[in-house]
Amino acid sequence: MRKNRPWLYSLFWIVVSFLTLFPIYWLFVISVKPAVDLFSTPDILIKSFYWQNYIDVLNDRTLRGYMVNSLVISTGNAVLCTVLGFFACYALSRFDMGGKESIFFWTITNRMAPPAVFLLPLFLLMTQVYRIGDFSLLDTRIGMILVYCTFNLPFAIWTLRPTVDGIPKELDEAAYVDGASPWKVITEVVLPLARPGLAVTLILTWVFAWNEYLLAATLTNFNARTLTTGLSEYVTTTGTEWGIMAAISVFTLIPALIVFGLVQKHIVAGLTFGAVKG
Amino acid sequence: MHSTKLGWLLLAPTLLVLFFFGVLPFIYVLYVSFHQWNPFAVNPDMVFNWAENYRRVVFDAQFLASLGVTAAFVFFAVISELILGYMLAQAFMKDFPGKAIFRTIHTLPLIMAPIIVGSIWKLMTTPSIGILPNLLDNWFGYDLNIGQSAIAAFVTTVIMDIWHWTPLVTLTLIAALVSLPPDPFEQAQIDGANKRQIFWHITLPMIRPAILATVFIRLMDALRTVDEVLMLTGGGPGSATRYVGVHIFKEVFPRTNYGYGSAISVVVLYLTIVACWLLYVGLIAPRNKKA
Amino acid sequence: MSFAVRLGVSALALSVAAGSAFAQDDEFWAKAGEQFQGVTLRGVTEATPPSNYISDVLAPEFEEKTGIRVEIETTSWDQMYDKAIKDMEAGTGIYDMVYIEQDIVYAYLARDFLVNVTQALEENPDLKAPSFDEADFTTFADYFRGDDGDLYGIPMEAFIKIYLYRTDLFSDPEVQAAYKEKTGKDLAPATTHEDYQAIAEFFTQWGEDHDMDLWGTTAQAHTGHPASWYEYVESVAPTFGVYGWGIDPDNNYAATVENGGAMNSDAAKAALKWWLHMRDIAPPESVQSTWTEVATTFAAGRAAQGLVYGENAAWIASDDTKSRVVGNVGVALPPLQDGVMEAAESGEGYIGYYDGGAFGLPVTSKNRDAALLFLQYIGQESVQPGWAVAAPRITHTATYDDAGVQDMNTELGGYYDMLKDQGRLFAGAPAYPFHAQLREAVAPIFYEILTGSIEPDAGLDQMAEKAEQELTDLGYRQ
Repeated sequence: MRKNRPWLYSLFWIVVSFLTLFPIYWLFVISVKPAVDLFSTPDILIKSFYWQNYIDVLNDRTLRGYMVNSLVISTGNAVLCTVLGFFACYALSRFDMGGKESIFFWTITNRMAPPAVFLLPLFLLMTQVYRIGDFSLLDTRIGMILVYCTFNLPFAIWTLRPTVDGIPKELDEAAYVDGASPWKVITEVVLPLARPGLAVTLILTWVFAWNEYLLAATLTNFNARTLTTGLSEYVTTTGTEWGIMAAISVFTLIPALIVFGLVQKHIVAGLTFGAVKG
Repeated sequence: MHSTKLGWLLLAPTLLVLFFFGVLPFIYVLYVSFHQWNPFAVNPDMVFNWAENYRRVVFDAQFLASLGVTAAFVFFAVISELILGYMLAQAFMKDFPGKAIFRTIHTLPLIMAPIIVGSIWKLMTTPSIGILPNLLDNWFGYDLNIGQSAIAAFVTTVIMDIWHWTPLVTLTLIAALVSLPPDPFEQAQIDGANKRQIFWHITLPMIRPAILATVFIRLMDALRTVDEVLMLTGGGPGSATRYVGVHIFKEVFPRTNYGYGSAISVVVLYLTIVACWLLYVGLIAPRNKKA
Repeated sequence: MSFAVRLGVSALALSVAAGSAFAQDDEFWAKAGEQFQGVTLRGVTEATPPSNYISDVLAPEFEEKTGIRVEIETTSWDQMYDKAIKDMEAGTGIYDMVYIEQDIVYAYLARDFLVNVTQALEENPDLKAPSFDEADFTTFADYFRGDDGDLYGIPMEAFIKIYLYRTDLFSDPEVQAAYKEKTGKDLAPATTHEDYQAIAEFFTQWGEDHDMDLWGTTAQAHTGHPASWYEYVESVAPTFGVYGWGIDPDNNYAATVENGGAMNSDAAKAALKWWLHMRDIAPPESVQSTWTEVATTFAAGRAAQGLVYGENAAWIASDDTKSRVVGNVGVALPPLQDGVMEAAESGEGYIGYYDGGAFGLPVTSKNRDAALLFLQYIGQESVQPGWAVAAPRITHTATYDDAGVQDMNTELGGYYDMLKDQGRLFAGAPAYPFHAQLREAVAPIFYEILTGSIEPDAGLDQMAEKAEQELTDLGYRQ
C-alpha cells in the first residue's frame, strides 16, 4: 500500500478485533449470568449483571493457592526454557559440533508426543525414580517446571534458532578479537540483539505453561495444583458450573495481560535492530 | 572457531532435561507398546506379544478414520493460521492509530486455557441455546447443529483452532519480520520490483526458517489437540472430530488400554516425525545447500 | 434456600448438637486419634455437594476430635478415576481414601485394590468406633460388599434416576383439556411408554403452537460423550426388559442374540427406536447433552417431563438460585413395558438406575488405621441427617425419619419416600469388572447410531458383536 491511509488500517483492525473479542465477550456474558439463564434463547447484549460467580471465586481460598502455583510454575518454566533454549541455540548456531542438525531436529520430536500415553511413565518416574527419601517430584512446583520443559524447551529452541542465526557472526568475532570472554559475548553482544526473539519465546512458553491442563491434572494432587486443574473441579455430575468457570477465566486473564504488557515492549524494541545488522 | 567443548557445555542442560523427561518416558512407552496390557482384563499384567499391537494398528479402521479427520483438521487449521497470521503480522509492521491496543487485543485468545476455549465455544454453539446457531438462523436461516452435523462440527473445531492459535503465528512472524535487515528491500525498490516480487523473492526466503518453525509447532500442537475438542464435541458427532489426540485419550484413560494405546502413540509420533522431516528437508535443506 | 446456606445452617446445627449428645463418642475419637498425631489423610473425589460436605464439614470436625488432618482433592469425573487407578496400580500410596462410584467397584474388587473394612475392624477392635454399625446402612451398601459379604467401601451418596414431570403443566386445566381432546385420555404421569410418548409429542407440539421454549421430554443424547450410552443401557433398555446391558454373565458373557445375549434383541431394538424418537422431539440442545445439561434443561423449564438423575432432582426441585421450576416438580417411577414391574418385584429385573458412591481405602494406603477411623466417622448415623439436608443423599435407613429430611421430602415432591419404598426396584450397574472398557469399545458405534449414519437395528447388531469381541480380547469371554 503505497499511499499511507492509517484509518483504513484502523478500520481493518476494528473488524479483526471484533471477531477476536467476541468469544471473550461471551465468556464475560456467561460469567455474569446464573446457570439456569444459559439454557434459554440467548440475548446478545447483557441485560442484567449477576455477580455471585465472582463473589464465589473471590471467597475461594484454594483458588488463590492455585493462582500462585500457576504463576510460579509458568514463570519459572518460561524463564528456564528461554535461558536454556538461548544457550542451546547459541551452541547450535556458532559451534561446529558433529550431528548438531540432527540434535536440533531431535529436540522438537519431544514436543510431538501425544500426551495422554506419556502420563503413566512420567507418573512412575516422578514417584519412584526421581526421588530422594520421602521427597518425590510428583505434586511439586519444581517437578512441573521440569515436566513442562518437554514441550516448551523444544519450542524455545525452534523459535530462537532463526533469531540467533540471524545475528551476524562477525559481531561475535569482533568482540572475541577485543578480548571478550564467551560469557561476555553471549550476554552483552548476542543477547541484546536477540531481544525480540527472546521476548516472543518468553511470552509463548509462559502461555503454554499457563494453559497446560492434562499433565497438571495427573501429576499434581494437593500442593502444586494449577488454575486449569482448578477449573476442572467445576465439571461434575451434578452440573458444570459454567458461570464460575467463566469468572475464574476472567480473573486468569489479568495476570496474563500483565505479563504480556511487560514483555511486549521488547518485541517492538526489535524494530530498531534491523539497522544494526546491515 | 572455538572448541566445540563449550558448545556441548551450553547444550548439556537442554539434553539432560529432555533425556530425563522426554527420552526415558518414550522408552517406557515403546516397551509397553510391545505388550498386551489392560489392568482391567482377566490378566491385569503386561504380557509380551511381539508386534501384535502394531499389526492391529494397521488394520484398525477406527484409528485410520481418526487419522484421516486429523489430517484434514491439521491441514485446514494450519494453512489458514499461516496465511491469516502472516497478513496480520505484515499489517502490524505499519503505523496506525491505536496499534498498541489492537496488538494486545489480538493476543488475548492465546492466554485462554484450551479447556476454557472449549467451554466457551460449546456454550456459543449448542443448538437452540447458543448464540451462534441463533444468529446464523436469524441472519441466514442456517441451522448450525454441531451435535448432529459432522461437517458443522468439523468446521467449528477448525474455526475454534484458528481463533485460538492465529495470534501465535502472528507473534512469531512479527518477531521474524522486525529482525529483517532493511537493505534488500530498499535495493529491490530502487530496482523497481513490485510488491509480489518482493514478497516471493525477498521476504519469503528470509523468513522461511521462522515460518517453518511456526508451521512445525502448529502442526504438532494441532495433532496433539485434546482438551478443546473433548470439551466442545467429545469427539462427536459420531467420530467426526475424534482426532488422534482425542482417540488416544479415550483409549488410555477410560478404556485403560495401555498396551495398544502406547502402540498407537508410537505410530502417531513416528508419522509426525516423518511429516515434519519431509517439510524440514524440503524447506531448510535446499537453503543450506545454497549457502 | 441455596445449598451453600443449607450447608452453613446444618454445620452450625451439627456443631451445637455435637457438644452434648456425643460426649461419649468424643472420648473414643480423642483416644483413638492419639496414636496418629501428625498424620494427614489424603482422599480424592469429585466436587459434588456430598463430597464438598465431607471436606467442608466432616473433615474439620474429625480433625478437631482426633487431631488427624484430612485433605480432600476434588477433581473432574474422568480425572478422578484415572488418578485413583494410577495410584493404586503403581502402589504409590498417595491416597488413603478414594471415591468409588458404584459402577467401578467391581473393577476395583477384581483387582484387590481395596481394604476389607469389615475384616480390618474385626482384627483391630480398638479402632472400632462404638457409633459405627454396618447394619445402619440401607441396602445400597450391598453394592460395596465383596463375595464374602464384607464391606469394602463406606456409602456416601445414593440416588435413583427417576421420572420428573412439571406439576404446574400437568395440573393446568387448559393443558389438561387440550390433552384430553387430542388423545382422549386424562393427563397424568405416564406409566407406559405409549403414554410417555403421547405426552411428549403433545407438549412439544404445545410449545410450538404457543411459541414457548417448551418440549415434551428430555434426552441425554450427546453424540460424543458416554452419557448417551448410559441413558440407553441404564434407564431405557431396562424398562423394555433388557437388563445388564444385554450381556449374559452366566452364559460366557454373550451379547448377541445368536449366542444367548440380548444386546441386539427385539426388545433392545424397540427400546432404542423409542428413545431415538424421544430424542427427536426433545429440546434441540439434547444432541449435546450429558447428565449435567439434561438437568439444567429441565431446571430451565424447557421440558415437561424427563428422566433425570436423582442427585440433580433435588436441586431442580428446591434450589431457586439454579432452577426456575422450584415447587413445580413431581416425581414418579419411569414408564415401563408390561412384565417389567413384575420382574423387578421378584428381583429378576429392575426399572432404572440406582446410582451412588462410596469412600474406600486403597490397600496401598500408608495410613490404613487412621483412614479406617475417618471412614467410620463419615459412616456414623449421627452425622447423616445434617449431611442429607445439605447435600440430598441418603445412605442410612434411620435418616429417612429425621425431621429435617422429612421436610425436605415434602419439598422434593416425595423423592425420599420413593427412594425408601421403591429403591429396591432400581439397581446399580451390573457387576462387571470391565465397565469402562466395554463402554468405550461399543460407544463409538452408539454415537454413529445417534447421528444417523448407522441404522439402529444394524447398529445394535454391530455393538453386540463388538462387545463379544472386546470381552474375548479382555479374556472374560472364552
